[in-house]
Amino acid sequence: MEVDISGARVFFTIPTNIPILGDLQISETLVVSWIVMAVITGLCIWLTHDLKVEKISKRQAVAEMLVEMANKFVIGNAGEKFRKLIPFVAALFATSVVSNLISLIGLRSPTADLSTEAAWAIVVFIMITAQKIKSSGIGGYLKGFTTPIAVMTPFNVLSELATPISLACRHFGNILSGVVINALIYGALALASSKLLGLLPGVLGGVLSQIPILSVGLPAITSVYFDWFSGVMQAFIFCMLTVMYIANAAEE
Amino acid sequence: MDVQELVGLVPWTFVAQICNLFIQMYLIKRFLFKPVNEMLEKRRALADAQIREAEQAKADADAIKTEYEQNMKEAKEKANEILTTAQKTAALQSEEMLKEAASQAAALKSKAESDIAQEKRKAVNEIKDEIGGMAVEIAGKVIEREISEEDHTKLIDEFIANVGEAS
Repeated sequence: MEVDISGARVFFTIPTNIPILGDLQISETLVVSWIVMAVITGLCIWLTHDLKVEKISKRQAVAEMLVEMANKFVIGNAGEKFRKLIPFVAALFATSVVSNLISLIGLRSPTADLSTEAAWAIVVFIMITAQKIKSSGIGGYLKGFTTPIAVMTPFNVLSELATPISLACRHFGNILSGVVINALIYGALALASSKLLGLLPGVLGGVLSQIPILSVGLPAITSVYFDWFSGVMQAFIFCMLTVMYIANAAEE
Repeated sequence: MDVQELVGLVPWTFVAQICNLFIQMYLIKRFLFKPVNEMLEKRRALADAQIREAEQAKADADAIKTEYEQNMKEAKEKANEILTTAQKTAALQSEEMLKEAASQAAALKSKAESDIAQEKRKAVNEIKDEIGGMAVEIAGKVIEREISEEDHTKLIDEFIANVGEAS
């Protein structure tokens, strides 16, 4: 019995041979990402068809609540001038949550691939930097690294670079730990049931030991934390930090 | 089937996920925020319109109320005016009537007095004539003779004068 924890599977490779980028690999991450996007977009379309001004349906109430929540989240944390940021943060949150939770139906989360989080973190980092340059000018932005004294410059650069890295790794680590622990639990339970039922004599024990009967139950409980809680929490933290960082960048 | 590293950066996936994020942002904007915000805007416009309508109705009602109050005030003033005028007129009229009555009474009185005086004169004259006749008869009988017309008249006048003094 082996426990295999690996990266995303590659379905097929399109040889492009572009330097640095290499061959285009259509991996599980990408395919599930597209599924996630389709799910979110489908949900949006389903929620917002047939909108009415009064006597609204429950479906419409949910749509309105989501929009209001997104508005309140961004404007409440960053202020009125970041109204343009709402769809971005909403997209980030929705993609993150659905990606994290899609592991519940047996697909591999796109967020269990560091490339995904790194991509998001880089986008957020560029936004933060752009906001900083916008609010204090390019000179002011560069000068900001030498505060409070010039000696601090390397540390300031480090802390600046640490922002996207910590953003990406925090999210990735949490999701990956869920994947790893789930795999370990399934592996351990399968092993335990095979050994336990293998004690039965004859063919019966031989057949039953192939069925990981103990896998029913316990993983559902651990998944409440590792998939549901951790998934939603990490998406929330990622978005919260994004909004906070950008709002802070504007204040300087 | 190949697998990628468990912890690693795959450049193509990295680029694709950036694109995916922005595509997702557009899709959410297009399919969730745009219709919902449009609907919310419509609802806000409707509510605003209703509030404006209510304000208009209130203003109208206020205008009607002030107009009504104005009218009431005017009517009251008019009524008061009419009342005072009527009172004045009545007073004037009654005064006039009293005066008239008084003058009429005075006229009646004076007329009656003049009538009485005339009647008296008339009666006196009649009595004068009668007494004159009687006196002539009596005198004729007493004297039993024809008195001349001159004496006759003289006697009568004398007598009447005496009677007039006596009456």
